Amino acid sequence: MKKRVVQALGCLLAMTMVAGSLTACGGKSEKKAEKKEGSDVKVAIICSAAGQNDNGYNQSAVEGAKKAADEFGIEYKVVEPTTGVPQALESLADDGYNVIFNLEYDFEALIQGTGGAQPIAEMYPDTTFVCVNDNPNQDKDGKTIHDNVISVLFDVHQASFVAGALTTLVNENAETLFGTDDYNFTPADDGGRSVGFIGGTNSNGITVFSYGYIEGINYEAEKLGVNYDYYAKYDAGFADSATGSTVAGTYYNQGANIVFSVAGSVGDGVASKAKEEGKLAIQVDANKDDQQPGYVLTSVIKNTEVPVYDIVKEAVNGKIDKMDRAQTYSLASGAASITDLSEISKHIQDSGKDKWEEIKAEIKDVEDKISDGTIVVTDAQSGEEFDASKCPNVTVK
Amino acid sequence: MELLNSILYDTVYHSAPIILCVIGGIFAYKANVLNIALEGMMLNGAFISVLVEYLTGSVALAVIAAIVTTLLWGLVFSFLGITCNGNVIVIGLGINLIVPAIAKFVLKVMELANISLQDVGVADFKINIPGIKSIPLIGGIVSGHPVITYLAFIGIAAAAILMYKTKFGIYVRVVGENEDSAISLGLKTQKYKYIAVLIGAFCCALAGINLSMERMAMFTSDMTAGRGFIAIAAIYCGQGKPVQSSLYAILFGVARSLAVNLSVYAGPAAGMFDTIPYIIMVAVLAVVSFMKFKDVKVRGYKFD
Repeated sequence: MKKRVVQALGCLLAMTMVAGSLTACGGKSEKKAEKKEGSDVKVAIICSAAGQNDNGYNQSAVEGAKKAADEFGIEYKVVEPTTGVPQALESLADDGYNVIFNLEYDFEALIQGTGGAQPIAEMYPDTTFVCVNDNPNQDKDGKTIHDNVISVLFDVHQASFVAGALTTLVNENAETLFGTDDYNFTPADDGGRSVGFIGGTNSNGITVFSYGYIEGINYEAEKLGVNYDYYAKYDAGFADSATGSTVAGTYYNQGANIVFSVAGSVGDGVASKAKEEGKLAIQVDANKDDQQPGYVLTSVIKNTEVPVYDIVKEAVNGKIDKMDRAQTYSLASGAASITDLSEISKHIQDSGKDKWEEIKAEIKDVEDKISDGTIVVTDAQSGEEFDASKCPNVTVK
Repeated sequence: MELLNSILYDTVYHSAPIILCVIGGIFAYKANVLNIALEGMMLNGAFISVLVEYLTGSVALAVIAAIVTTLLWGLVFSFLGITCNGNVIVIGLGINLIVPAIAKFVLKVMELANISLQDVGVADFKINIPGIKSIPLIGGIVSGHPVITYLAFIGIAAAAILMYKTKFGIYVRVVGENEDSAISLGLKTQKYKYIAVLIGAFCCALAGINLSMERMAMFTSDMTAGRGFIAIAAIYCGQGKPVQSSLYAILFGVARSLAVNLSVYAGPAAGMFDTIPYIIMVAVLAVVSFMKFKDVKVRGYKFD
């Protein structure tokens, strides 16, 4: 018995060592630009779980850093944390990286400090930390806690609104646009005026998409005088693509022609189902339009390239301390938007081209109205409540 | 009726990979080498099949490659756990960790977020049985599934026969229950343990192919999402008996299917159905364990 325990311990030890050494060499991928004269800014990007080849959220941040590196001759490093974000933050700060972007949703150790430890932001006062997607850096009264932390937020509710408007317009004209050869849309009088939404978890970060989307659907539905049903599931998780696929299947069976998913890999399952059923899906975070060509209508994207480049630029100019501690990138800034629709445009049939141009013009108009404030979209992420009575033309099931 | 039909169809959909893992796992369970690497092996099957299809465009080659590589993992597991007498839990854990890591690494090298097959469609794999397809209710259960789903259900019977009606099955059980007597009878115990693990690897490969290539024509990271562990729970609840264990696997399928289908009517609350199998399993395991030990009156009895 004792021998077994020793063996087991030995195995565990060996495993830990292997894991440790893998972390040491495999966990970080280094891309150093040639250091030109001038700036002593060193930029680090901590990727979220999706990794730096996600064709979007992480990748565009890396591109932003690359662009800044080429332009200003700074050094940058991309890290995919294998032992947790706090450790990565600390070791990067130790290594002298003075602008660190954290794309992962893990801010506790940075702002509050975990396990009685000092907050990391306090330990490295000369390093600027950038939190993306949330503003954890404020106390109950909304006051900034650490001066060396910048929060970056995206107005995805506005982009979702545009996606919603597009959904209604495409759904009303689905057969004109796409024909019936490769597609199998449910006609409007047969339950086809319904839309599905699949979210990974029930939090403000997800509902912000859903509420904006509902309001967008409602906006165009009200104009056309039609009524839509809205099916939503907020607990699909982020990894189980097969479940995503079957949930989308039930929505499509129910008559929905378009399903919007904000749920990581689960959304890939939805897109696969869309192809199987001959209907449409809307993706999120990255431009995934070419994932199932012709069956992904558009993607709601957070273009992290814009804020990464902006912040690095200010850092190089030495003005980073003067920037707002909470920055919101809106539809107008180009950082939160839907894709340019170029992929789906290839699948519009000739007889639908005119209608498609009409729809694109209307979408442009919607975007302008959001930018100039004519249309105000509910922003769940900043704590705004969704008021269903303002969307009389959408029935949330 | 429409709803009931899709509930039944999705039940079969979600049960099949878990059933395959269960019938793969019970032989190892009975041979007393608990294979907790079902999850990793299934993911390997899912990943390699889609990867090879993506690179070569040949479905047959993809299936063969997936099975062969998963059997290799089975060999690694058996060699370390049986020949070298390593701790099977640690080895299994190792495989469960390394397979998703390899998959992510390859995706990263290929600069892909996921692999999505364009030249085969999900519809190509479905077998629609004429006649039966249009019968209400039964049509949803029996028709319109891919090959491996049918194999899974046939596999339950095959596993039961192999376990109880053949010499091999008896030997595997003897090896698991009392290895010393098996050795005294002149059985090559290691051989039976190896075969038990390899059967598991084979079934897991099929489960993976079913999940990724046949049902979705795509691979996404960590797409097995704990199904291998659900299978282990099902094996324990069914005490390694093929039919009973598979019934628990189907229970998971039913619950998942209800959660998915009723979300149209009940909204997010439908997610509650996902908890039912866990509640049932905890209850069953507690009752089974209580019944087993309730008459044991010896003080200091070692529960082993």
